[in-house]
Amino acid sequence: MNKNLSVLFAAILLVTVQAHAETKADAEDHSDHNIDHSMHNMDHSEHDMDHSTHDMSHDHDMSHHDGDDHGIDDPDHAGHDAEEDHADHSAHGHGHHHMDDSHIMDHEGGMIMGQNKDKLPSSCDSISEEIEITVHAGKKHAQEFPGTTFAFDQREWRVKPCTKITWHFVNDDEVRHQFMMHGLPRYLYQNGMFHLEVTGPKKISGTMIVPASDETYLVHCDISQHMEKGMKGQLVVGNGGEDLPSIPGFTPYTFPDTYPHEDLPQVSDKDNEDTIIEQVADFLDSTPFLSGMLIIGLLLGALIAPLISRIMALRKKDEIAE
Amino acid sequence: MPIKILTTVLAYLCIACMATAQASLKLPKTIKVDPEALTSEPMCDPKIPASWREAQVIEGVQIRESQRCSPDNPYLIAAAVKGTNNISMGTLMETALSPDTIIKTDDMDGDGDPDRIIIKLEVMELNGPSPDFEGLIPTFDIAPGIQPGAWVFAPKTSGMSTENFESVRANALLRLPSPVIRVEQGDIVQIVLENTHYFPHTIHLHGVDHPFSHHGYGNDGPTQTSEMHLMPGEKRIYEFQARQTGTMFYHCHVQTHTHLAMGLVGMIIVEENRPNNWLQTLNVGAGDVRHPSVAIQEEFDHEYDLHYHAMDKELHEIIQKYNDPRLIARDMNRRYDLTDSTEDYFTLNGLSFPYTLRESMIVVEPDQKVKLRVLNSGGELLALHSHGHKATITHYDGIEHNPIAQITRDVFDLAPAQRVDLTLNTTNDGLHSYDAGVWLFHDHREKGITTDGMSEGGSISAIAYKSFLNEIGFPTGTHAESLDSYFTKEFYQRKLPIWQDLDEVGSLGAPAGRSRIDSIDPETRTDIFNLIYGLLAGLILYLLFVKRQQAIQIVLSMTAKLKGSKGSANNE
Repeated sequence: MNKNLSVLFAAILLVTVQAHAETKADAEDHSDHNIDHSMHNMDHSEHDMDHSTHDMSHDHDMSHHDGDDHGIDDPDHAGHDAEEDHADHSAHGHGHHHMDDSHIMDHEGGMIMGQNKDKLPSSCDSISEEIEITVHAGKKHAQEFPGTTFAFDQREWRVKPCTKITWHFVNDDEVRHQFMMHGLPRYLYQNGMFHLEVTGPKKISGTMIVPASDETYLVHCDISQHMEKGMKGQLVVGNGGEDLPSIPGFTPYTFPDTYPHEDLPQVSDKDNEDTIIEQVADFLDSTPFLSGMLIIGLLLGALIAPLISRIMALRKKDEIAE
Repeated sequence: MPIKILTTVLAYLCIACMATAQASLKLPKTIKVDPEALTSEPMCDPKIPASWREAQVIEGVQIRESQRCSPDNPYLIAAAVKGTNNISMGTLMETALSPDTIIKTDDMDGDGDPDRIIIKLEVMELNGPSPDFEGLIPTFDIAPGIQPGAWVFAPKTSGMSTENFESVRANALLRLPSPVIRVEQGDIVQIVLENTHYFPHTIHLHGVDHPFSHHGYGNDGPTQTSEMHLMPGEKRIYEFQARQTGTMFYHCHVQTHTHLAMGLVGMIIVEENRPNNWLQTLNVGAGDVRHPSVAIQEEFDHEYDLHYHAMDKELHEIIQKYNDPRLIARDMNRRYDLTDSTEDYFTLNGLSFPYTLRESMIVVEPDQKVKLRVLNSGGELLALHSHGHKATITHYDGIEHNPIAQITRDVFDLAPAQRVDLTLNTTNDGLHSYDAGVWLFHDHREKGITTDGMSEGGSISAIAYKSFLNEIGFPTGTHAESLDSYFTKEFYQRKLPIWQDLDEVGSLGAPAGRSRIDSIDPETRTDIFNLIYGLLAGLILYLLFVKRQQAIQIVLSMTAKLKGSKGSANNE
């Protein structure tokens, strides 16, 4: 731990010195920034700030990814919003900041923590396989789960022990999301965590190696209420451990809400003459003909029918006997 | 024989009655709650480094001394002054801000300070529920053990919402109130709202000179007239270039009757344009401004942002009752009735007494001029009273009051949403100041000095002269009571008899409760018990004597059985 800290500290110092130099350089050519905006010209036309391209839909290239470099997409800044254009003037520019081998942050807050590309967990003799997994995060992935707000597009991943995984984390929202894993061995991962974080729409990638033991690891977004409102999943290594609760579509809530019936106004059907026909049509429309329950019903019918006929037959026999 | 039993019972009752009559002459003793039985917390959070209180220079930013228990993080101040784009990664890491939270660029008027300012805010829930355990997360106590569910605009952060994975406490940037924003007159300001919450929100810039729309987007906040709901996962840019200065505020304008009270409200201050005017763009937690603007430095010795707020307990419990956002929406939008509500919690800068003493005291020295910017974001009138001082109202709602007509007084009434700027003069002339000391500064609607009706609580603070504070910024108060009991949950749970320690005998402490048998004094009680034991013993002896034949037979058969079983065991 202390070692880690000192390494981190040294790295921070280095970065500090570097950034300081950058700041100086920036200060020197700051005269160039004196754009001819007159302070006193404060009529409302000034409010129309000179960013004509105010497109909310970012056109970042999601596909290209330099996996063995920093793992952060170097975004095409041409498509950025106004405020990000300003950011370009900053001392940080496009530079990535390395605090540590396992802690990388870019100037927009994209972050990779606990990256581990080559250190084998002590329980592994070798890497069993190398895989890449793309995880999407955002509001739209919560749509299929009523009562949630945010979600990952997949919520369970199963891998072999000692797998080397490169995660491509794609944030489809315009706010921050995280892909945060807990419970990893602390001698390899600081605080037992592997963590990707990025403000969308954007991708960030990082690599890790899972230990050999059968274990289920929590994956979540730690932004307040994001996990609680759906952004939660689990990584199952080998046969896994116990399932985690409240993963949308996988496991129930430990403390579920109750849903009393609410008497909300509804469209009345009475003045509609062909209601029954419509209802039947609706029913047929909404009920797929070959649903699972229908098949179960058929099977049950087929099983019960001979039984009933036999009982009937027995009864008749009894009657005759009497 | 039944007659005998009857007489003995009667005799017992007579004795018991006599004993009770005698005991009721003596009332129960006072019981004291042992401090050991309380969940005490330290008055001052020991995790805060003492060096944070010192005057210092970080990243070339002058940061004033702040002699209080919980001073603002000086690195955060440096980041707020320079912008997160102009500081080292080392400084940034001390703040937990995102590198793009405050972007400052372009000295457009060539006066030595940046004029394009971008501020990124997220919407964070405090004291929210979890479907996995019964507690709340991330927690923020406004007073010991008081955790109302709340929403805040928070500076865009980096990393976890809690202090760390083991803790459920919110990280220092996620707190009430929403941060104070400071911009310069003429700055081109963009507030980027990134809606990280599960409900829609917007921002309304109350009192700040802003265009109704920009680039085809609404810029005013109300969803009925200006713009669409900003849904979860979306962001929106609010843009303005303020021509007028003053103390203003900003708040969410979606379902404002609840969203404002939930905490989505903060101060925004437009400062005069001056050369080399690097402003502290965010004052997280409000209070002491440790890097005031050039104009304030010229005229005042200190500047304090004082944000008063009030909350109805029932409203803030709604978000803790359900996890499903649809159920929360149902209760907040359709079941909660603001017209039937009462305010229970009263806060100054997000906290109630005694936590106000940690960071929101107005610390002064004699013969100083102090600028107080006050906002009332509660639902009712506020009646602030300053002990020992009369202050002058210089501005209403950001507009300077005619200097000749300015009023000096000791009760300041603020309507909801109102701002006043006060000048506090600590010259001891019997008018502006009566003396140096620790003088209360509090709402004089008396419920405002309570926390859910329990006093002292609420938004009580003080005008504290530096010489009356100890090294961790608490009143030395040699002739005042100890403040320890306020730093316990039990005080606000009403479980602590607050006057139990006023004198040696605890004359106003809590009386011991007593049942019938307790009401008899100990000696008589033992006598009575002895009598009952005697009676019982006598009865048994009597029975044994009368039924001795049967008793002997029973004993004999028992021993025989025992022997028999032993014998059979041996045989096997």
